[in-house]
Amino acid sequence: MKVLGLVALAAAVAVPPYLPKYFLEVLIAILFWAYLGAAWNILGGYAGQFSFGHAAFFGLGAYTSTLLFLRAGVSPWLGMLAGAGVAALFGLGVGFLSFRYGLRGPYFSLVTLAFAEMLRVIAVNWKAVGSSLGLVVPSKGSAPALFVFADKLPYYYVILAMTLGALALTWSIERARLGYALVAVRENEDAAEAAGLDTLGVKLRGMVISSALTAFGGTFYAQYYAYIDPSLTFGVSVSIEGLLRAIVGGAGTVWGPLLGSFVLTPISELARAALRGRAGADVMLYGLLLILVISFLPQGLMGWIARVRSRAAAAP
Amino acid sequence: MDRAREEPRGRRAVSIAAPLLEVTGLSKRFGGLLAVSGLDLSVRAGEIVGLIGPNGAGKTTAFHLMGGFLPPTSGDVRFKGESMIGLKPHAICRRGLARTFQIVQPFAGLTALENAMIGAFNRAPDVGRARERAGEVLDFVGLGAKRATPARSLTLPDRKRLEVARGLATGPDLLLLDEVMSGLNPTEIEETIGLIRRIAERGVTLLIIEHVMRAIMALSDRLVVLHHGEKIADGAPTAVAADPRVIEAYLGGAGAPA
Repeated sequence: MKVLGLVALAAAVAVPPYLPKYFLEVLIAILFWAYLGAAWNILGGYAGQFSFGHAAFFGLGAYTSTLLFLRAGVSPWLGMLAGAGVAALFGLGVGFLSFRYGLRGPYFSLVTLAFAEMLRVIAVNWKAVGSSLGLVVPSKGSAPALFVFADKLPYYYVILAMTLGALALTWSIERARLGYALVAVRENEDAAEAAGLDTLGVKLRGMVISSALTAFGGTFYAQYYAYIDPSLTFGVSVSIEGLLRAIVGGAGTVWGPLLGSFVLTPISELARAALRGRAGADVMLYGLLLILVISFLPQGLMGWIARVRSRAAAAP
Repeated sequence: MDRAREEPRGRRAVSIAAPLLEVTGLSKRFGGLLAVSGLDLSVRAGEIVGLIGPNGAGKTTAFHLMGGFLPPTSGDVRFKGESMIGLKPHAICRRGLARTFQIVQPFAGLTALENAMIGAFNRAPDVGRARERAGEVLDFVGLGAKRATPARSLTLPDRKRLEVARGLATGPDLLLLDEVMSGLNPTEIEETIGLIRRIAERGVTLLIIEHVMRAIMALSDRLVVLHHGEKIADGAPTAVAADPRVIEAYLGGAGAPA
């Protein structure tokens, strides 16, 4: 397993310079959604708090770094940190309001969705942040210090590093006290509280980590596509696409979001290419696939792999 | 694990001073129902106190109030001299007052060891120490061989043990046990009586809700009887069992204790 992982890592670093541009774009998309899935996974997968509104943090990250860049000339590398700070504060506020008043399960999901929609509507109507026209990020030439690159390859390495970083963080949280606490909250909140866990504090910590990571993804998006608008960044689809990676791959597992993205992202790309011209058909196909996965693999692909493995181990 | 050395608590010394737990005038009203009514109850360090009463007498509600799971309508709960009113359950647990649930509440997806670890984090700061402590507690309650079993695959008696293990792992001075014997067969009840005695020997003070009369009579230093939310008797088990009010209320003239 370790050898396999090292080979995959070496290939992920060494092969992309030789790939055609389209493949590189697909790889970037895979890693980008895996990254967002991993960020969501810490709160949604481990702590079981199903946010439907991670687009709020994504958009805050994208808008904060872009506005700092456009209006004050601050490098997006620094703006990224500011965006994460803004998103973490917002996450803390949303989390405190919802958790303090005991919103659980679907109620929490709906509140997060509402907050993301609220930000989208504000962005649409606010001239100073570009309203519904959005913001164009200067992207001519190459300026590594300003997170602007002439071709796709550097962006690939940036998102590769971000994804590996998010997975490494997840791995270390899983093995730490915080990881046990997050899972205990997911499994049984009352029992966790009775066992001495400050469940509000645990959930808020999960919220802050998850929202800050998601904001980094927003800045990456802004720099890579060089354009943001309210629906692209604060829209529902950002929230849903990210959490689907984690759920299909296996929520609450380190590798789930990566695996989920390797399966879902190419399918969504292929469906879009194959069904071009039939508006909405690719979304329907995608939806059908999701229904199948969730009905037959409720624990995601990681759960299925674990079952197959334990069956193989049990067989003589 | 030698807890007496690890956490000296001087049972004798404390028992001369103020009670470990002192409940005064505790009431809880749910709409028109007074579930607990003006309950006075004290538990001294080192005691095993049984809390009994017919179904619906308010025993579990009283536990919810003491553990911070419900806010009382009036009254006070003092633990080690400090009021617990307004504290959240985890803060009460942190101070050394832990509980089990009548309807077992395991972390179903986690193993027995991980379940106990969640409790152990209350006193053990790092994962290694928590794992060690959890392992010791599982051995102590007789679940050592099943530490890697997911809680959802455990039998009911084992889940009851796990419930006790998780409570014990938090390192309590006072442990509230809520019907840890219900649903067990006679052999398992005998084992649980032994387990509770050994918990007391470790220096943990116990307040126990139990319907298994034989067990509660054998274990308790003192019995407190609730009926319709009110305390109707408080004293030595033999005296309480002979109290006509208790016989009238608790047994309802239905015959001898089970």
